[in-house]
Amino acid sequence: MTISRRDFLKVAGLAVGCALAVPETVQASLPPTDPNEQIAMLYDATICVGCNACTNACRQWNGTTPEPDARLVYDAPTELSADTFTLIQLYQGEDGVFSFVKRQCMHCVDPACVSGCPVQALQKTSDGPVLYDPERCIGCRYCQYVCPFHVPRFEWDVARFPVVAKCHFCYESRIIPGIGGPACADRCPTSALIWGKRGDLIAEAGKRISENPTRYVDHIYGEDDAGGTSVLYLSAVPFENLGLEDLGTRSIPEISEETAELVLPGILIGAPILLGMIRLTAKRGGWEDTWPL
Amino acid sequence: MAALTRSRERIPASFWPLLALTLLGVGLAIYRLVVGLGPSTNMNDHYPWGLWITIDLFLIPVAGAAFTISLISYFLGREDYHSVIRPAVLAGFIGYGIVGVLLFLDIGRWNQFYNILVPGYINLHSFLEEISLCITLYTGILVLEIAPVFLEKWGYKTPIRWIERGIFIIAGAGIVLSMLHQSSLGSLFLLMPHKLHPLWWTPALPLLFYLQAVYTGLGTTAIAVRLIWGALKLPINRDLFRRIGQAMSINLMLYAAIKVGDWMGSEEVPLLLRPDAFGLIAWLQFLIGIVLPLGILLSKLVGHTSGPFWAGVFALIGTFIDRLVISWVGLAEPSPVTYFPSWIEIMIMVGMIAGGFLLYGAVVRYFRLFPEPEHAHG
Repeated sequence: MTISRRDFLKVAGLAVGCALAVPETVQASLPPTDPNEQIAMLYDATICVGCNACTNACRQWNGTTPEPDARLVYDAPTELSADTFTLIQLYQGEDGVFSFVKRQCMHCVDPACVSGCPVQALQKTSDGPVLYDPERCIGCRYCQYVCPFHVPRFEWDVARFPVVAKCHFCYESRIIPGIGGPACADRCPTSALIWGKRGDLIAEAGKRISENPTRYVDHIYGEDDAGGTSVLYLSAVPFENLGLEDLGTRSIPEISEETAELVLPGILIGAPILLGMIRLTAKRGGWEDTWPL
Repeated sequence: MAALTRSRERIPASFWPLLALTLLGVGLAIYRLVVGLGPSTNMNDHYPWGLWITIDLFLIPVAGAAFTISLISYFLGREDYHSVIRPAVLAGFIGYGIVGVLLFLDIGRWNQFYNILVPGYINLHSFLEEISLCITLYTGILVLEIAPVFLEKWGYKTPIRWIERGIFIIAGAGIVLSMLHQSSLGSLFLLMPHKLHPLWWTPALPLLFYLQAVYTGLGTTAIAVRLIWGALKLPINRDLFRRIGQAMSINLMLYAAIKVGDWMGSEEVPLLLRPDAFGLIAWLQFLIGIVLPLGILLSKLVGHTSGPFWAGVFALIGTFIDRLVISWVGLAEPSPVTYFPSWIEIMIMVGMIAGGFLLYGAVVRYFRLFPEPEHAHG
C-alpha cells in the first residue's frame, strides 16, 4: 500500500483543523488496482435484440418489483428506478435506423459518487464493482447529482428508511460465491452482453471494430470516457443518440479532488497564520492608514 | 433604554402570525418524517435536491455575517464594529440552526445522520463531508460566541471571563471553519461539470462562493443594523456604515473580476449573448447583484445609511439568483421531468424561517443584544 502525496496532505490538513486523522479511511479510498485487471461488462448494441431477458434476470435475482405497462401485461419499465437496476431502451433515428441500449451503473474506474459520498456508503471494490452500503448512507442523494450517467435512484416512497438503489454487478451475490457473472450477462441469449476482465473486453471490442469497421462507430465507449468505465459499449449509431454523452476522458472527480488537495490544507494552515499576522499588525496600529475599513 | 423598556409592555403584532407559521411548519415537518419524502415533497430522481437545499445555500452566506464581522472587529481591530458583533453572531447562529433543521428533514436516512461524524465512515475526498464537519464544529463556535449574552443575564461571570480570554482562538477557529465551508459549498458543484450550466460552472466556484459569502454577510449586517437600530431608535454610526460599504465593494469587485475573467477565459461570452433564459438570468444576476451595489457603494451614497442598506439588498438578491441557478434551475437533466416544490416543502421552509425570526425577536426582547444608546458609537 502506498500513500500518495495528495492523501498525505489531506490527512495532515484535516488533522490540524479537526484533530481527526483517519488513516484507514484513506486506505479505503485509495485508487484500486489496474482497472484492466478488474471485472467489466461489454454490451454490443449491434447484437442486442432487445428481448429484455437481462432486465428480467436482474429482477428475479434481486427480487425487485416489476413495473408493468398500463394494461398490466408486460413488465415495461421506462427508465432506471429504485426497483429497476437495468433495462433496455430503444433509440429510433429519423432515417429508420434503430438501436437498443442497455442502462445500468457504469461502475466507473474513478467514480464521482464514491468521491462525493460523505460517509463512504459508496465504495469502489478492488475488483471493480461500485457497491452501496445502507448502514453508512444518510440519504443525502449527492450521489444522484454527481453521477454523470444519472444512475443512482432513491426510494422516494419509503418513509423509514429509504435506500439508494443501483446495479451492484451481482458482486456479492454471484461473483464472490462463484455462481457466475452478473445475472443479466449470464442470461443474455445473444451474447450481446458479456463479462470478463476489462482489459480482455477492450481487446475483444477492438477486434470486433477492426474486423467489421463498417458495422461499428469507431469508438469503444467507456474505454477512456469520463476516465474509463467498467461497462463498455459498442454501437452502430453515434453514442450521443444512445444517451451516452461525450464526457471527455478526464475522470469526473479529478478537478474536485485537486481542489480539495489545494484548498483544504491551504486554508487550514494558511488562514490561521494570516489571521495571526493581521492581528499583530492591527495591534501595532498598522491598518490605521492603509486599510479602508 | 427607554425604547427597550417600552417594547416589553406588549407583544408586538408580528408575534402571532410568526408563531402560527412556525407551528404549521413544525407540524408539517413531523408529517414529512412520518410519511417520507415522496408523499410530502416534489423531489424526484431527476431533481433529488430541491427548495430546501437552495435555501440552505442562500442562508449560509447570509449567516456569514457572523464570521465577516468577527474577522473585522477582532482581527483588524476595528473597535467600532463591536456594537454589531452580537446581533451578527446571533443571526449567524439562528441561520445555521435553520440550515441544520432543513438538512435533517432533507436527508432520507435521518435515523443515522450522525454517520457524518463517525471516524471510520468519513470520506476525506468529499466536500459534502467537509461541509458537514465544518458546520457542526462552527455551530459549536457560534454557541460559545453567543453564550455571554445569556450567561450575563443569568449571572454566570466565570465562564464569560473564559470565553473573553479565549475569544481570539474561538473567533479565529470560526473564521477558518467559515472560510472552509463557505468555499466548499461552491466546490460541491465541481463534481457536476456536465450538469451545471457552463455560465455558472467554473473551477473557480470555491473562490466565487467565498467572496460572495463575505459581501453577502456584510450586506446582511448593513440591512439588519439599519432595520433593528431604526426600530429601536438607536443612533446609527454612519462611519461604520461607510466602512461596511467599502469592505463590500472590495469583495464585489474581486468577485466581478473573477466572474468576467472566467466568462472570457472559457469562451462562454456567446452564451451570454444567446437569447435564452440562462443568458438573461446571468445578465440579471450580474447587473442586480454586482453592478448595482457596486454603483451605489462607489458613489457618494456610501456615506448615507441607505447606501450600504440598498447595496446589501441588491447583493442579496444577486446571491439568491446565483444559488438558485446553481442548485436547481441550472442543472440539466436529459429528461422531461421537472421540479417545483410542493406546498409542504414551501411551508416547512417558511415555518423554520419564521421560527428563526421569533427566536431572534425573543432574544432582542429579553437579553442585551444591542449597545445602550450612549455606547452606540463605541
